[in-house]
Amino acid sequence: MESRTIASYKTPSGQRVEIAKQSFPSVRKRPTKRVAFVSSLHGNELEGIYLCHLLIRHLKNLQQTQPEAFQGEIHIYPAVNPQAVAVGSRLSPFFSLDINRQFGGNDARSLPAQSASELLDDLKSSADIVVDFHASNLHLQEAPQIRIIDGLHKKLIPLAVQCNVDLIWVHPAAPMFESTLGYNLNQAKINTLVIEAGISLRLNKEFADQLFRGMLNLLHHTGVLTFTGSPLNIDPPVIAHPSEVVLLQSEYAGLFVGHCDLKKNIAKGEMIGEVVSATDGEVLQEVTAPASGFLFTLREHPLVYPGAPLARIALKEMDRP
Amino acid sequence: MRETILSIPSPTGPSTDLLKFSWEGTLLKEIVSIVGGIHGDHLNGIYLCSRLIRFLDAVEAGNEPDYFLKGKIQVIPAVNLPALQEGNRLWSFDDLDMDLAFPGNDQGEVAERTAAIVYQHTYDSQFGIILNNADTHYEDAPHLVCLNPDGLTKDFARSLGPQNAREPEDSPTLRLCLYHQWIENRMPSVILSAGKPDHLNRTLCETLFSGLVNSLLWTGVLTNKRKKAKKYTVRFNNRDNEQLVFADAGGIFLPLVQSGSKIKKGQKIGEIVDMYSGAVLESPLAPSDGYLVTLRDHPVVYQKEVLAVLLRKQKFSLWPF
Repeated sequence: MESRTIASYKTPSGQRVEIAKQSFPSVRKRPTKRVAFVSSLHGNELEGIYLCHLLIRHLKNLQQTQPEAFQGEIHIYPAVNPQAVAVGSRLSPFFSLDINRQFGGNDARSLPAQSASELLDDLKSSADIVVDFHASNLHLQEAPQIRIIDGLHKKLIPLAVQCNVDLIWVHPAAPMFESTLGYNLNQAKINTLVIEAGISLRLNKEFADQLFRGMLNLLHHTGVLTFTGSPLNIDPPVIAHPSEVVLLQSEYAGLFVGHCDLKKNIAKGEMIGEVVSATDGEVLQEVTAPASGFLFTLREHPLVYPGAPLARIALKEMDRP
Repeated sequence: MRETILSIPSPTGPSTDLLKFSWEGTLLKEIVSIVGGIHGDHLNGIYLCSRLIRFLDAVEAGNEPDYFLKGKIQVIPAVNLPALQEGNRLWSFDDLDMDLAFPGNDQGEVAERTAAIVYQHTYDSQFGIILNNADTHYEDAPHLVCLNPDGLTKDFARSLGPQNAREPEDSPTLRLCLYHQWIENRMPSVILSAGKPDHLNRTLCETLFSGLVNSLLWTGVLTNKRKKAKKYTVRFNNRDNEQLVFADAGGIFLPLVQSGSKIKKGQKIGEIVDMYSGAVLESPLAPSDGYLVTLRDHPVVYQKEVLAVLLRKQKFSLWPF
């Protein structure tokens, strides 16, 4: 494994902050493919860091026992926003900026924007395929899923199905995506998969293990790694297009109390949870499934305001429009 | 008229009300919208709105005898009230940048609903002004921001008082701002930026207040029997005309100049000293003659951060036609 620093800067006390990249070179002169894994653009999304740990540990071992397995290149960026990770915050601390809204400009002035630009340049020069790991924010728990902007699905779904996620959600394009890493890499013709799993500031070992198998399968499928052992068990994901996902929202301010589990095939009319009054003992809203499908998002943060997302369901084929 | 345009109920406490103030003359087709407090730390803008509200209430009541309302003026003083009341730039419940939420969604979360209602109430105005201050850690000399201004917008800018206008970076994030939504709607608009976040400079606000009243006279929504609107000189600087001074070291920045001053090439901008020993690590110099429009205010700096923005002297200040 080769370690390299792709960007660095000094703190006010003179210590150096570095964005590290761990690389596993190919045994071939011309690598079959180059795959990169990026984690923690948001410093409170820890699932990806753990996944990078699992990948690095596995690949280091493989490099020693079976070096010929590396037909392509693998690059792992475990913590691209190291200061935000250090304090577990979504935004870059001190600057209060979301680094995943700093891509796509031509005039990087803030330090997070400069780091974003250096990361983008490094990925463009070293990867053909990128996997960008995210957890959800503080409010929602997400089943392992890949989100693809409508229009890119034909190119990305064949790769995404290899990743052992529960769901591939093709969602509508929106201007806010244009400043993200995933959008800008895809615009640069580097196939990039954005994975969401879990919730911020927590680790879900089951999700991490599931995605770890998926990432190994992706490396195998793309010819980057060769395996001699038994094939990995990969489950086919649900694939949902924009009109095939239902979002349930709170109609009131109050407390959301969940009544069911994530990653569940839910029946029409089944209870998902309640929004209750925090002050007078009233149940304000009973949240039930409007149609049958796969429950892949569930609210975790109990405090809600009107409009707050509570759950998302990928509709069963018979209920799709 | 004082109007609650959005009321956001809270899970436990009182609701948060978004207020709009408006005054109408007989020409209701002419509307000027003034918006402040998109971030919770834009205190100069919020105070300026209060000055304007007091003045326009007096005009409406006939207590400003030379002034008369002709068109419609509307002021939304504190868009991001939750953040303001929390004493933060962003509302910590969602950490979303309100100025990346436009045009909003009236069925969405709090930030999206707020953005949607502000946009719906302002998008069909004849002129728009957004009151900002410098970004976190900086101080701005009063200036205007406008993207590719046409002749009408330039004349509008000339009514406001500041002598410099800057061009924002036309980036994906700018396209999510209220300002960009207005100009996409072909509404002549400017951002007026002055001072620093979390500070109120009353002297500065009095100067800006005069300019705002002058701009209302210029647009014709307000008239004065004795005085006509003044036309100030404004230099429209494009992005290439800005010269940045970066920190080569991290430490404590001790400025030797003030924002709003004219700087000579080679002039010392300040010193960066080691935060422990006080030893001078760097003495950044002005790379050219220019007007110091933005200066670092927060003394703690990271390496590679911008310390100052100079507007260089343009070679041709006047075109021959």
